[in-house]
Order: sequence, then C-alpha cells, then structure tokens
Amino acid sequence: MHRKFWYGVLGIALVLSLGWGFNEYRQAENLRLSSNNQNQRAFRDLASHMDQLETSLAKGRVASTTNQKVLQLSQAGSNSEAAMKDLAQLPAEDTGLSYVGQFLNQVGEFSRNAAQKVANGTNLTSDEEKTLADVHDRLITTNRKVQDLLVRVDTENLAWTSPQSNVFQRLSFGKAQIAEASAEGQDVQPNSVRAGLDQLNASLQKLPPFSYTGEFATRSVAEPLGLPTQEVTKDKAQEVANDFLAKVGSPGVSLEFAGVSSGPMGGYLWKQGDISLTVSKRGGVVTEFWNQRSLQERTLTTDQAKSKALMTLTSLGWSLVPTSVEDYGGYIRLEVIDEKDKVRYYPDKIRLTVALDNGQITAYDATPYWAYHHPRKLSSKITADQARAKLQSSFQTKETGLAVIPVLGNREVLAYEFRGTYQGEEYLVYVNAENGLEEKIQRIIKTPRGEYLQ
Amino acid sequence: MTRRKLWAGGLALILALVLTSVAYGALGDRLLSKGSNGPEVTELQKRLAQLGYTVGTLDGKYGSKTQTAVRRFQQEHGLKVDGLAGTATIKELKRLTGESTTSSGKPVGTKNVDVNLLARLVNAEARGEPYQGQVAVAAVVLNRIKDPAFPKTVADIVYQPGAFSSVSDGQINLAPQSSALKAAQAAANGSDPSQGAVFFFNPAKTSNKYIWSRPQILQIGNHIFTR
Repeated sequence: MHRKFWYGVLGIALVLSLGWGFNEYRQAENLRLSSNNQNQRAFRDLASHMDQLETSLAKGRVASTTNQKVLQLSQAGSNSEAAMKDLAQLPAEDTGLSYVGQFLNQVGEFSRNAAQKVANGTNLTSDEEKTLADVHDRLITTNRKVQDLLVRVDTENLAWTSPQSNVFQRLSFGKAQIAEASAEGQDVQPNSVRAGLDQLNASLQKLPPFSYTGEFATRSVAEPLGLPTQEVTKDKAQEVANDFLAKVGSPGVSLEFAGVSSGPMGGYLWKQGDISLTVSKRGGVVTEFWNQRSLQERTLTTDQAKSKALMTLTSLGWSLVPTSVEDYGGYIRLEVIDEKDKVRYYPDKIRLTVALDNGQITAYDATPYWAYHHPRKLSSKITADQARAKLQSSFQTKETGLAVIPVLGNREVLAYEFRGTYQGEEYLVYVNAENGLEEKIQRIIKTPRGEYLQ
Repeated sequence: MTRRKLWAGGLALILALVLTSVAYGALGDRLLSKGSNGPEVTELQKRLAQLGYTVGTLDGKYGSKTQTAVRRFQQEHGLKVDGLAGTATIKELKRLTGESTTSSGKPVGTKNVDVNLLARLVNAEARGEPYQGQVAVAAVVLNRIKDPAFPKTVADIVYQPGAFSSVSDGQINLAPQSSALKAAQAAANGSDPSQGAVFFFNPAKTSNKYIWSRPQILQIGNHIFTR
C-alpha cells in the first residue's frame, strides 16, 4: 500500500519535472534563437557599414569641391558610428578595448573633424590627406578579413565566441591562443567570430602605429596656461589651504594630508571630515574644494546666496562675473567667468555650489580657470554690425557682446555673441570677430532648475 | 413629493462625486501625511523615486518608507524636515521633476536621458564612495566621449562589452540614489575631480595588468583614476 503510494508520487513528480524541463528547454531555445538572430544582424550590419565607410573614404579622398568633400567625410563619420554600434552588440568574452573598435572610432572622429574643417573653408593639409589615405588603406585590409569571416559564418556555421578552454589548454598543453599565433605570423583559422575579430586586431597591430590622436584627445590641457611655474612645498600648500578655509567660512579646521595627485594639474590633497581640497603643486593655488556637510533649512533666496558667494570670492581675491545660476533646491550651482574691457572670457571659469541655508560656498572648482587663463592677443577686425549681417535675417537680437570662446581643436577665438530669438526659440550665436564665420550656435533650454545651453 | 426625492437624491449623488474627486484630487491639493491613500500619493511616490529616493512599490499608500523618503528629500533640499508632504514640499518636488521648455514655453521633455544613465552607473560603481569620487566616476565616462579611442555617446560607453563590471553583473539596473544623481549632474555640468582620467579601478579588487600599467593621476576613496 505504502509502496504503491510512493511509486505514484514519484511518477507524478517525474512527469511534472519532465514537463518543466521541456518548457525551460523550449524557452532557452527561443532565447538562443533570438540572440543568434540579433548577432547575425549585428555582424552583417557591421560588415555592410564598414564597406560603406570604405566607399565614403574613397570618395572623400577624390572629392575636390567643398560640398562633395564635406558630404563624403560626414557620411564616413556616420558610417563609422553605425559600425561601432554593431561591433558593440557582438558577444565578447574578454574585457578591455577592442583594437578594431578603437580604430573605427578614430576613423570616425578623424572624418568628422576633417568634414568640419573643410566646411569652415579650410583645406586639408597634406599631412591630413596622408592620414586619410592611410586610414583608407587600413580599412581595406580590415574589411577583407571581415568579409572572409562572413563567408565562414555562412558556410561553416562559425560560433560567436570560442568555447571555454579546458584544463589541459589552461595548463598550456594545448595549442597557443589564436591571436598570439597570428601575431607570430602563423596562419591559424580562428574558431569563432570573436576570435576572428581578435586575430584582426593582431594583424592591424602589425601595421605601423596609427598616429591620429584626435582634436580633443583630453578634456584637460597638457600644460596649464594659468598656473604660475614655481613649485610650492607641502607646508606652504597647507598654509594656502587653511587661509582658503578661513575665508569660505570654515576656520580652524585641522587638515589631514591625503596624498598627492600627479599630472599637469597635480597637487596636494587635504581633508578633514566633510571637507576636502586640493592645492596645486605649481603656484600653490586652491584648484578644488568640496564641503559635503548636510544642509539646514534654507534662509536665503537664490539671489541673496549668489551675492553672498560673490562677496566670498572677492575676499579670496577674485573679481569675476556670474554667467549662469541653477537652483537645485537647498543649494545653487553658479558659474563665474573673467570679464575685462567688456570682453567675456568663457574658458576662464570657476564653478561653485552655494548652500541656501547660510550662503556658504560648498563646492569650488577653479580647474578651468587655471588651465586656460593666459594673456591673449585677440582683436576684432569687423564691427558688430558687420557680424550681425551674417545672421539669419529673421533672427531677433536682444543682446550683443564680445566673448572669447573655445572651438574645435583646443583653439580659442574672439567672437561676437548674439543672444536672440528665432521662431520662438532662444539661441546664442557666435560670429568670429576676425573673419565673420559663424563659429558656434547654442540653444537655450529652460529646465526646472534654470537655463541650460545645448 | 417623488420629484423632490429625486432632486434630493440627484444632489446627494453630485455632492458625493464632487467630494470624492476632491478627496482624490491632483498632487498638491491637500496635505499628505502618513496614512494618506490614493492616486496623489502614487504621484508623490513616483516623483520621489524619479529623484532617487527609495519609496518601495508605487502603491499609493503613504507608509513609513514614503515618510522616510519625504524626510530625506526635505533634508537634502533645505526644507523643514517634518515628513509631511505639504505645499512647499510638493511645489519643490514638482519643480525639480518638471519638464524643460523652450524660451516660448513649448515643453521639450525632461532632457536628462544621459544624466539618468550616468547616475545609474555612478550608483552601481561607486555607492558609498566620497561625493567627489562619485563625480569623478561620471566624469570618466564624459572624458571617454572626448577621447577618439572610445564611442561617442554615454549609452555606448556604459554598455561597451566588458567596460564596466556593474553592467556585466546587472547592478546597473538598480535605481540610483539621490547622491548619485547629484554627482552625475555635477559631472554633466563640467566638474572633473578625476583630472581627465579615462579609467578607474579598485586596487584591492583588480589584478588586470593593462589597467595597472596606465599612468595614475590620483586616488579618491577606494578608486585609483588613471589616464
């Protein structure tokens, strides 16, 4: 009796688990199929976009008129971006940067910048033409390998990623890794799409290094233009830090040394409780200050807090003008810049946050100011009226001024700044004060926190 | 007589409808406190969650989780900390979760797609790090956009295969805390405590040779930032 009962239970359990297993298997199969389809799409798109990229580059090389050159080069820019997105969707087993991805990005950035340069009326230099030719040649090599992989996907049903290496291979009894073998010059057939792409990395690496580093290789400058050259000692830095703290309303803090930072803006780091700050080694100025104290109930309006912060800045020796204020509730974010003889110097900027409970500065970032501030020899060659004539005829100007703005290629230009409206939207349009070119357009969006430039 | 009854009944019905619509009015029509219920509480919870305050499920019940979230919101926004969602609190909450507009007032959406994803990454990679360490993590993503070796959008960088461990293990899907949102916002506005770094790692958890070979800039909290 008992035995029969248990057989029954086991039988039912077996049927249930078989049903469950079958269901799971079907779901997994569906998932596998859909991810395989995704991979197929991504890989075929990659091959096709890289092919289009190659064609655009070829046409960009031969084009001689401005509009044709701009058209082909910006086309190349979007092709490389599309190819990059496809590559990012293919499964990968190891972390880190893929060389192909890096190459595609560089090609894209190079062609976009070249397009912009040509559009601004400048011809490519012979060096840039040479880079374009070099990039094109490399891409042909790359494409041939990708096309070959595609054929193998079609004919051999190549896997997406290589099977995990087993114990023997890990103990290096097995054959050498595909990419390494290829780098050593042996011709080994990769056993998966990813391995094929990695092998491609290795064959690209055999070419002489690709020298293009980009217009904006870094957001920070290689050499801070504003920092004095003489280095200060740690003791002097501490003195500077204490003096700064006294002026921003936290006197008598016994700071602890928290290490040094290296690089062009390197400095001594100090901290104590909620407070931390950096004093630059060169020149001994405070580049960053953070106070993470908790906020009390607000007592000030944004305007009152702003004027209080400006007074603090004056006591720190600054005479800067505010450009934007954003209200985050409890604190405001404020940007101040240098202004001399009615010319605004946008690169020379300090970013602040100010608490609305007592008007104390809670964050101070003078890195841009010290990185970019330097005596400039810029003068306007055209008048404001001549510059205004370059604008859309129905653009209604509300404010006009002169400003130094950063433009592509880590350059600065002196420009007329026109603030005005066009078809119900507000813009800032910058017209180069030397040659009358329209350098930059910024759209003004009103966010719940304040104005925002896009 | 029957007519009168009908009128009275009709009036009562209208009154009842009006009263319920008042009781379940728009957010900000009445003071909400612990024990309140209804769609306006759901709305309150949704807006709190949007700013990174944990409220649990959006169930329309003003429980202790919602109260804690309101208190934290008040504390971090310089309001009177009482855990009650009154006029001032709701006004500020509505303002900070509102839409952006063009100068002529045309709504154009919240315009913070990238900031939200950055905040998720900061939350997943640098929870519990000092504030400037969180800003620095967000800044690393933005520095990569400027670097020709990396993709050109925040999403492409964050989801680049193998780029961030928090994407591989799913932590990126956790709702960001308010401090992570604040840090992402600061980085989007240009702050960069990492001083131009494009990589960061936790020295206690990483043995990757490539990352150790990069020129180091500085350490903030548990992260070393490198070029």
